[in-house]
Amino acid sequence: MTRLTKFARPATSLVIYAVLAALIVVPFLSFLAMSFFSVEGVTINRTPTMGNFIRAFTDPVMMSVFWRTILLCGAIAFVTTLIAYPVAVFINGLQGVARYVLLTATTAPLILSYVMKIYAFRSILGGNGLLNRMLLATGIIDTPSSFFVFNLNAVFLVLAVLLAPFAILPILLSLEKIPAALSEAAADLSASRWTIFRTVTVPLSRPGIATALSFTFIMSIGDFVTPQMVGGPNGFTFGRIIYSQFGLAFNWPFGAALGVLMAAVIVVVLALAMRLGRVPGGASR
Amino acid sequence: MTRSLSAQVGLALITALLLIAIYGPIGVTVAGAFLPMKGGIIQSFTPSLAAFGKLSTDTGLIRSLMMTLAVGAVATVISVMLATALALFSTERGGTHARVVTLIVFLPFVMPPMVTGLSLLIFFRDVGIDRSLLTVTIGHVAIILAIAYRGIAVRLTDLGRSQIEASLDLGASRWQTFHRVILPNITGSLAASALLCFALSFDETLVTLLLTGTESTFPIKLWGMTRLGITPAANAILAILLALTLAGSALAIGLRRRSQP
Repeated sequence: MTRLTKFARPATSLVIYAVLAALIVVPFLSFLAMSFFSVEGVTINRTPTMGNFIRAFTDPVMMSVFWRTILLCGAIAFVTTLIAYPVAVFINGLQGVARYVLLTATTAPLILSYVMKIYAFRSILGGNGLLNRMLLATGIIDTPSSFFVFNLNAVFLVLAVLLAPFAILPILLSLEKIPAALSEAAADLSASRWTIFRTVTVPLSRPGIATALSFTFIMSIGDFVTPQMVGGPNGFTFGRIIYSQFGLAFNWPFGAALGVLMAAVIVVVLALAMRLGRVPGGASR
Repeated sequence: MTRSLSAQVGLALITALLLIAIYGPIGVTVAGAFLPMKGGIIQSFTPSLAAFGKLSTDTGLIRSLMMTLAVGAVATVISVMLATALALFSTERGGTHARVVTLIVFLPFVMPPMVTGLSLLIFFRDVGIDRSLLTVTIGHVAIILAIAYRGIAVRLTDLGRSQIEASLDLGASRWQTFHRVILPNITGSLAASALLCFALSFDETLVTLLLTGTESTFPIKLWGMTRLGITPAANAILAILLALTLAGSALAIGLRRRSQP
């Protein structure tokens, strides 16, 4: 142990923390500081003010977009996890090569360009797109539907599908950890399959469910590319508004304040996920 | 435990539907590389390799691809080296130091890329650094560092202290201990972390979009194209990348199968 302390000389700590400060801590603090500044024409006035936050909370449009976005992302997280769960259960039930092939098949699409996938989705969902053509051809609808054309429904659908692999993986990891002996014991005690699923599998996979929910929520709330591409003129989300403050609207301080609100929401979501992720009656893993 | 047939069929059906939804846009992308398309609609069913032929003359696209590879390679090397130093530091020190380092490293990873990207954007403006591929590379390092750090730190913890202490007790210098004892033991996790970092950097869009200057990477080039329509040449590149990924995955599955009796 005495020799080991040689590794940890004060100079080492200094270099380590200096790098972390320059790369991560100071940028995040600059971001926080920016939210208290204001903009005058094209210059930034560095006199601290609460103006941006007051504007964010009092502007009815801002608040309605804020809550709508939270609702949208909550729904995306819920539905994606709901779809991912049975898929993870199915993969977990497979063995050998079939398991790896299916696992690869669900996760390999992550490698294909995010922008390209959304773009392709746009052409599938569009008024003259593949989906409408198929529905027309099969006679399910008579006129092209505009339900998924450039609105929040399209954002919902695209993100739910694109984020599904991110939800499958953590659930699968938590399912894998459940010892087979537990369900066998329950079966020996004459519990039905459904009872075992409800009282053994689901509670023990809570860490995976919590990770899937929080991850898909965070990924969707921070996305501005998808709403920009398939959201259309009315499909405004919080992320898209923040992005516009750093572009055309050119109000960095206001954009930063909205970003701080977003970060606050994420901290709350992570805290909720930690609570949800605790296995009932067991030690945390 | 066996599952009832109806439950198994139901699960398979949900999985199949999800796979169709996931592979729909990928099918459209690959089709666009071989078939004439307009706004995502196939115009005729005569496949051609014209899009692949155009690749060699599309210097802008090739250049952006090269830039993506360069940014990915540099960001990966820096991240893995920095993560190794950080992981060594936090495993040696433990306690508060380890907790603080882990918290800071994970901050840009836990926050959405947008918040991290905007933080760096504001920081670079404050210190007067213009947006360029350099700022993009730094942004990528901030995002992917957590992945490399986690992989390497877990491996170092598994390795334990006894070998390191033995090496130091036998009179090896710190550098010799790192070089001869620690490094050979963590090579696997370094390689795995590097691969994951590179994959994440390669398609990074949100942070890159905020930090990029005049020169852009491939995902940003695609983003720029979306207004007027993505060209068949871009589809061709994506089809090639997809084929390479699938070949790599198939190889990995094959190796895995061979290694398992």
